[in-house]
Amino acid sequence: MISDARVLQQSSDAAESAAAPSRLSRYARPMLGVLLPLTLALGWELVVWLGWSNGRLVPPPSRIFTTITDLARSGELVRHITATLWRVSLGFAFGVVAGTLLGAISGYWSLARRLLDPTVQALRAIPSLAWVPLFILWLGIFETSKIALIAVGVFFPVYLGVMGAILSVDRKIVEVGRTFRLSGFAMIRRILLPAVLPAYVVSLRVGLGLGWMFVVAAELIGASEGLGYLLLDGQQLGKPAQILAAIVIFAILGKLTDWLIELAAAPFLRWQDAFGQAKGA
Amino acid sequence: MLALDRVSKTYPNGVAALARFSAEIRQGEIIAIIGGSGCGKSTLLRAIAGLDRASSGTVTLDNETISSPHAKIGIIFQEPRLLPWLSVADNIGFGLADLPAVERREKVARALDRVGLAEKAQAWPRELSGGQAQRVAIARALVPQPEVLLLDEPFSALDAFTRRDLQDHLLDLWADMRPTLILVTHDVDEAVVLADRVLVMRPRPGRLFDQIEINLGRPRDRNSPLFENFKRSVLTSLDRSLDRNVPDRDATQGPGQAMWW
Repeated sequence: MISDARVLQQSSDAAESAAAPSRLSRYARPMLGVLLPLTLALGWELVVWLGWSNGRLVPPPSRIFTTITDLARSGELVRHITATLWRVSLGFAFGVVAGTLLGAISGYWSLARRLLDPTVQALRAIPSLAWVPLFILWLGIFETSKIALIAVGVFFPVYLGVMGAILSVDRKIVEVGRTFRLSGFAMIRRILLPAVLPAYVVSLRVGLGLGWMFVVAAELIGASEGLGYLLLDGQQLGKPAQILAAIVIFAILGKLTDWLIELAAAPFLRWQDAFGQAKGA
Repeated sequence: MLALDRVSKTYPNGVAALARFSAEIRQGEIIAIIGGSGCGKSTLLRAIAGLDRASSGTVTLDNETISSPHAKIGIIFQEPRLLPWLSVADNIGFGLADLPAVERREKVARALDRVGLAEKAQAWPRELSGGQAQRVAIARALVPQPEVLLLDEPFSALDAFTRRDLQDHLLDLWADMRPTLILVTHDVDEAVVLADRVLVMRPRPGRLFDQIEINLGRPRDRNSPLFENFKRSVLTSLDRSLDRNVPDRDATQGPGQAMWW
């Protein structure tokens, strides 16, 4: 955005008269993306308010908002959010630990890769939702099977990300470690870990995205609380406002948790951002 | 003293990269290794560094056999190979992890000063120019005070002006600590500017073909007739190593024939 502004700045130097409108568009441009949804929302609100539609199947924004505040006031919202967050966190944690360990082993050790990787790839080819009936038989219909499903969803991108990152570490950089006589552990800590970190963060974010996807699937299957339950409940009782409320909250939570990972990783990836910063300066 | 005794390297695919290479290199001597492509220069350097094992023969430094990277041997590659996640200062201090932090910081600061990059201490490697990055690589290799510094075409990726600059700079640094320098190069000019002795290698299989002592005082004037003479004799030897016809007349005529490998 800032580089855009600089280009605009230059063009405004060239044509003095054009300066005012281009400076305006500098602030207007990000708003352009919001324009369409905002117009639609307000338009729909107006249509319902004027009574042209009853808005029963497509509730206006104000009704969705009211649903959210009602849920929040009764304490229901917190209960559902907590249940869902708890499942995602546990599933994500298990998936990340397993994916990181196995990915690191297959990336680092070629014998393990030959033993392990074909099986993992074969399992990956199975649509993960196909596990649901089996997990329910094995683990019951309560929390365990849900968390297992989420963990499976998180596992594969993390496994692939870690293995791929280790395999693509620059041989020349590893050689620098060798010339300074780094032993196995020091080599991992001082060369391999920092080298794979950027790709690892990406795989964590992809994994988290899948975690959110699978929590919906898990909660649709049979739950008495959680945002997925709100979705199902809204469908069965014909409350579209509640479905849309749950969807909005999913979007907010998904974005928020993704941003948390980004934030936590930022101090370790400052060296990578140098390019973006140089452009902005 | 660094002794190479019949060092040979045959790759698993049967290619003989290096055949019975022997040489003795005095402590503090500057050696340039030059030769056509595929003559095993880099293979030899990697064997001395302990990065690749020789198939047969031995490399010994002060009577110690080298078979893996050694604390007394540093190496600088064609690319700077800085670690992008470490600041310039931390890159230079990379080989000093065993030292207490205070001592390390002191040495790094001195090295930064010495290579003229003190104000870049906290910069990221990607913010450096090619010449600056190679200076950092030189500082990183020299900070642990190696007895032998190996250089694998260290300046070949730089522009002519920066290259000259860094050649002079390398000699400056060498004068401080007098490590043995072994430099693989394509550049006859570079070999004659830097080296006490130029080893000419011959390809297929790589072996020693000729040695030329450069009896010139330092600093060397790149434009003096004496310098031209040495350049010409290295070039002639290189031509012979490649079985090129070298009529005596041509060999002694002007620098028009300068070859850049």
